[in-house]
Amino acid sequence: MVPVDTPTPPGAAIQPLNEPPPELSAREWHLRIDPLLVIATVGLVCCSLAALFVSTQDDVPGQPHYYVVRQGIYGVVGVCLMYGVSRIDYSRLRQFTYPLYGVMLSSIALVLVLGSVARGSRRWIELPFFNFQPSELGKLLLVLSLAGFMVNRMRTFDRQTTARAVLIGLVPVLLVLAQPDLGTSLVYVVGIAAILFVAGAPVRHFAVLGALAAVAASLAIVVPPMVGVTVFHSYQLQRLTSFIQPSSDPSDAGYQQAQSKIAIGSGEKTGRGVEDSTQVGLEFLPEHHTDFIFAVVGETYGFAGCALVLSLYALLIWRGLHILTIAKNLYGALIAGGITVMLLFQIFVNIGMTVGIMPITGIPAPLLSYGGSSMLVTFLSVGLLQSVHAQARETVARKGRAPLF
Amino acid sequence: MMPPNFEQRRPAITPQLAVRVAVLGGIALVAFSIVFFRLWFLQVLTGEEYVSQARENRVRKVRIEAPRGDIVDRNERPLVQTREAPVVQIVPSALPEAAREAAAKYSMARSKAERKRLEAEDLLEDFDQQHRPTARRASPRKESAGERRDRKLEQRAVRQRREKLKKAAVQAQPVAIPPVPSDQKLRSLYSRLSKAIGLPVTRIHERVTEGIADAPYANVTLKTDISREQYNFLYERREQFPGVEPTSLYLRDYPHETIAAHLFGTIGEISPEEQKLERYRDVAAGTRVGKDGIEESYDDYLRGTPGYDKVVIDAFGDRDERRRVTRREPRQGNRLRLTLDLELEKTANDAIQRAISAAAVNGAKAGAYVAMNPENGEVYALGSYPSFDANLFAKPLSESTYRALTSKANGEPLLNRAISATYSSGSTFKPITALAALEEGIIEPGTVINDTGAFRLGNQTRYNAKKARFGPVALSSAMKVSSDVFFYQLGAWANDDGAIIQQWARQLGLGRTTGIDLPGEFPGLIPDRRWRDDGYRKYRACAKKAGAAIGSTEALYACGGIERPWSVGDNVSLAIGQGDVQTTPLQMAVAYAAIGNGGRVVLPHLGMKVENGAGQIVEELPDRSRRNVAFADEHRSVILDGLRRAAMEPGGTSAHIFGAFAAEGLTIYGKTGTVETGPGRPDQAWYAAYVPHSTRPMVVVVTVESGGFGAETAAPVACSMVAKWFRKSQQLCRAPVVTG
Repeated sequence: MVPVDTPTPPGAAIQPLNEPPPELSAREWHLRIDPLLVIATVGLVCCSLAALFVSTQDDVPGQPHYYVVRQGIYGVVGVCLMYGVSRIDYSRLRQFTYPLYGVMLSSIALVLVLGSVARGSRRWIELPFFNFQPSELGKLLLVLSLAGFMVNRMRTFDRQTTARAVLIGLVPVLLVLAQPDLGTSLVYVVGIAAILFVAGAPVRHFAVLGALAAVAASLAIVVPPMVGVTVFHSYQLQRLTSFIQPSSDPSDAGYQQAQSKIAIGSGEKTGRGVEDSTQVGLEFLPEHHTDFIFAVVGETYGFAGCALVLSLYALLIWRGLHILTIAKNLYGALIAGGITVMLLFQIFVNIGMTVGIMPITGIPAPLLSYGGSSMLVTFLSVGLLQSVHAQARETVARKGRAPLF
Repeated sequence: MMPPNFEQRRPAITPQLAVRVAVLGGIALVAFSIVFFRLWFLQVLTGEEYVSQARENRVRKVRIEAPRGDIVDRNERPLVQTREAPVVQIVPSALPEAAREAAAKYSMARSKAERKRLEAEDLLEDFDQQHRPTARRASPRKESAGERRDRKLEQRAVRQRREKLKKAAVQAQPVAIPPVPSDQKLRSLYSRLSKAIGLPVTRIHERVTEGIADAPYANVTLKTDISREQYNFLYERREQFPGVEPTSLYLRDYPHETIAAHLFGTIGEISPEEQKLERYRDVAAGTRVGKDGIEESYDDYLRGTPGYDKVVIDAFGDRDERRRVTRREPRQGNRLRLTLDLELEKTANDAIQRAISAAAVNGAKAGAYVAMNPENGEVYALGSYPSFDANLFAKPLSESTYRALTSKANGEPLLNRAISATYSSGSTFKPITALAALEEGIIEPGTVINDTGAFRLGNQTRYNAKKARFGPVALSSAMKVSSDVFFYQLGAWANDDGAIIQQWARQLGLGRTTGIDLPGEFPGLIPDRRWRDDGYRKYRACAKKAGAAIGSTEALYACGGIERPWSVGDNVSLAIGQGDVQTTPLQMAVAYAAIGNGGRVVLPHLGMKVENGAGQIVEELPDRSRRNVAFADEHRSVILDGLRRAAMEPGGTSAHIFGAFAAEGLTIYGKTGTVETGPGRPDQAWYAAYVPHSTRPMVVVVTVESGGFGAETAAPVACSMVAKWFRKSQQLCRAPVVTG
């Protein structure tokens, strides 16, 4: 993919000043998206559609393809969005750092006011076509605004910078936590840490932050019940602890995970096929179209199917890290780093949850779980990655054509 | 200048960033590896395990109860059958908490009352022991008027005390069922159910409370034989009646009602304790197993194999009707054929009923009979009177009915007196004393003892029954006329040689359970020096500790009734089956069989064959003898001669009953027995007979509590049984004695 220039022959005259510079070719510009990344994303959407197709036939009476069709539409819209975003020069977004931050905060705050309640938490704003989940879009906006902030402060990277960045990031974390949505706020925290890490924050800053986080977390768990305030709902803690002894209580949190493990384990090497997948077909598997969709893949298509999905995810992460290294500027590197690490975290926690090595946190699997907000935001994020990639390639190509001294 | 080449012109990636990206890449690699190997472990290494878990997840076995096998008599006449009936059951765990709390309260109160009753029963037993004739001492000197008044007063106090104790011992203080809990849900459920099945609310509450108290693990059957309409009504509205289960149940049916009712026992859901036993290893919870009698002994054969429906269910526990189900039909238990003869059992039951009503003037209420094959232990008939309708136990039984069935006033119909009641056996014990004396060389077959009608022992004098005098008699004649003095003398002589009579009695099967295939058998007691002296030592130590005088009433309450050591008088009493000796009718039958058959102590048994539904034999239940007792043939023949003369020769104790059988070609070897049970109390009647025959030998033992003389009350019952068994006319027993 790297365009190779014919090196200038030795002794040849340097390009005369009176000649016009070589034309910039817009034609090559739009080809500079990363095809591997496209393959990974589209492949994952296909896997998602296949899993939804086998698992949700009886979920909506009379509409066996309800979820498949909708997820398909989100996928198509998402691909368009991805392409659109990849055509934008992401660097321009830097000037909107603070407006983006404002939009993020206000949209998340809006949910607390207007959002519809589902299972004890407010996460959605109901729109005509789908339920918009601002905290999902917030992931991307947080990365953009925090990256912009870091770049502005890059000349004097000191304790102040880290502290401010953390404070800026902490506001949306707390807002999301108040919904309450523990899983998404953890994703935010990971995103903030990733951006600081890529920006080059000293390791001792992380050590201090980690210590502070540990103290804060233990205080948040221990103190409020004494004062009589609910910060963590008991079900959240129960989910976290039931993971330590997953089979202790088959009636609720542990039960979901046990059923998920049975589903995945029973898939064996090549899966039980659509007809015989009883864990899915007889609805032993909870949340089989959202949080536990990976278990559907596991039962129906076995280790082969799981390995395919994992490979596509690995491809996604590899390309993300690769794009991080080739970014034309720090802003791009920070965006790529934040997005990639967030994706990695979501993938690991979600799949870890389905195979019983992570607690149940309600984090969806990117591009695999059913859900418009998650799907579209992931495509936007991947679009930004593509933009970073395209800009990097473009810059390299131009520089190759027009060598500067 | 050389233009910098392309690679160098790439945007600089600082070494620091390179390291950090490498770290991120490393983290990603580790994360993916963890997930990958976890998947490998779950799906490839342990996948099969999860496949089976997934299968179990969706397939439930719904157990279908198997009907129990029938029980038939030796001629295949049905004794116990099974029928299917629609019933309403209550699932205790699905009821509101209030119902279970009430039951727990009731259960606690009930066990407290029962504990009190048992205490009173123990006291009463000790009390009676003190006032037995053997415990009374003759006072040689005259008493003054004042002493007599004191004694009278004391006697009255004792009598009153006894009455009080008896009342407390016979029946536990009735425990009231707690009122229907005020729980709104429970009340509404009961009242709706009451309308649906036509059982008053209080009755429902009573049954549920009693049922949970009896067996907290099992469903409570509220009503059996409900109508189809009631069944359908409840079945269609199961959601509105939580905890109420209309179902069908196999009920036991006893076509002959009271006949042999004691033998069968009941069935009920297996208890958690039983489930731990090896014999119930493969039995699932909720299965009904035999709880007593033959149902318990032969439960393995009768139980059958439950079937199941394999149904596919979804995560909500609902049956998925679209999916294929497999079904294994339940298999009815095997048919058990007993050695019992229904016709003989009926005859015996009628005869003992007649005898008891004839002896009702004496206060006769209860009795028992056994007929057995002396060669192999097959029990032809075994029963206890009064009996009860066995069908009562096939349905929910109320506490009051149960109390009536166990009350002393009604004669405790549930008690199987043939194996679970012990009595002194009276003169029917004499052949055993005779055998011991002959075998141990105390007497020769021809030894003559002069029966003066009285036997002096220390300062006591004992007499023959009816104060008879028989003059010089040898063993055979002594048995014929039932001379007590002759046997008193044997008892006195035997006492010098130790526990001879006791040894022989135990050898022949007394003083220990016979091993019959029925649970609840009592061992009885053959008293000897060791037993009484040990008991007395304990009594003395206990009385000393309690500070009570030996022989006083306080000592009796505190320490029991063994208030004197062994004396020769005890052995003398034992020689004629009086005193402390306690045997069951079945034990006597075994002893007579052993003497009759030449020394084989048989194992009495009711089970004969196990047959399958098609009537083919699955298993022949073996005849077993427990051991052989060796004794000289001439000794046996002299004893049998005595027994024959007692039953057949004019002047024999029961010749007026059995004399007529001689003309029918049957020889009866029989002995009467009359047991003194205490001053002012009627005697207990016994009869034991051995009838040899080439194909149908028989040994019969009959006893009637408070029946009076053995020859008058017990012998006619035995005679009826013998006549029936050998297909002779019942008139033989009533024939006038032909005296020669």
